[in-house]
Amino acid sequence: MSGLQDVGVPRRNGELAFDAPWQPRAFGMAASLVETRFDRDWEPFRTRLIAAVAADQDRPYWESWAVALEDLLLAHGLLAAEDLQSL
Amino acid sequence: MTSDHHHHPAEPAPVERRVAALEQLLTDRGLVPPGFVDAINRAYEQDIGPRNGAKVVARAWVDPEYRQRLLTDSTAAIAELGYGGHEGDHMQVVENTADVHNVVVCTLCSCYPWPVLGLPPAWYKDPPYRARMVREPRALLAEMGCDVQDDVEIAVWDSSAEQRYLVLPQRPPGTDGLSEQELAELVTRDAMIGVARL
Repeated sequence: MSGLQDVGVPRRNGELAFDAPWQPRAFGMAASLVETRFDRDWEPFRTRLIAAVAADQDRPYWESWAVALEDLLLAHGLLAAEDLQSL
Repeated sequence: MTSDHHHHPAEPAPVERRVAALEQLLTDRGLVPPGFVDAINRAYEQDIGPRNGAKVVARAWVDPEYRQRLLTDSTAAIAELGYGGHEGDHMQVVENTADVHNVVVCTLCSCYPWPVLGLPPAWYKDPPYRARMVREPRALLAEMGCDVQDDVEIAVWDSSAEQRYLVLPQRPPGTDGLSEQELAELVTRDAMIGVARL
């Protein structure tokens, strides 16, 4: 069982570091799914996030977050590949 | 295209459009209940973090020895309750008294003790708040609905990455019969920043 503190969300001087309005939306979507679909366990998302960051280390953090979110939805059958292609 | 076109917002980045479309899709599919993302963000802003700070305050109200430890080594005393981590280091708790009202600002940026207070409120980062709280704290506090009597000194604490402040509000009168848990429920985020009194 992982909590948010295990996810390594970037912080700036102690606060969650968001630079654009879409970033807290992406954060909130992941937090919502963790809450409602993963029994508050951040671990499934965390492993996707680690993979997304590793896959492209130059990619901005929250963009990797968004990729991890899509990967999670796909891997757990919550969305289909066609759904993601239509975005 | 008009001459002021360069003032218009930039085209949304692809990721911005994609995240918005994803949220719409998740909402349409019922995977994320309507309003839930807003609620989650509010929870992280107002509910989860400040409750930790509120428990610290309530403990200090009921336990004089804890209160003393909290004022002398705030980081360690907060860690006793299980709160802390990188963003909760270098804490200094400042105590409101009958003579002094404390208020916290971060003039350089928006340093904030996240583990005890959660996400900072939007106004905390606003340059006008940061500038005016230093220049005219009494007037600004009054505008925010926090009237500090003229004979009470206002101490403004400027947070930084090296030192983050948490206000220990005065225990409200008439709360002698309340449990520590009930007391914690009285403590608000704004009171711990110092822009409200309990």
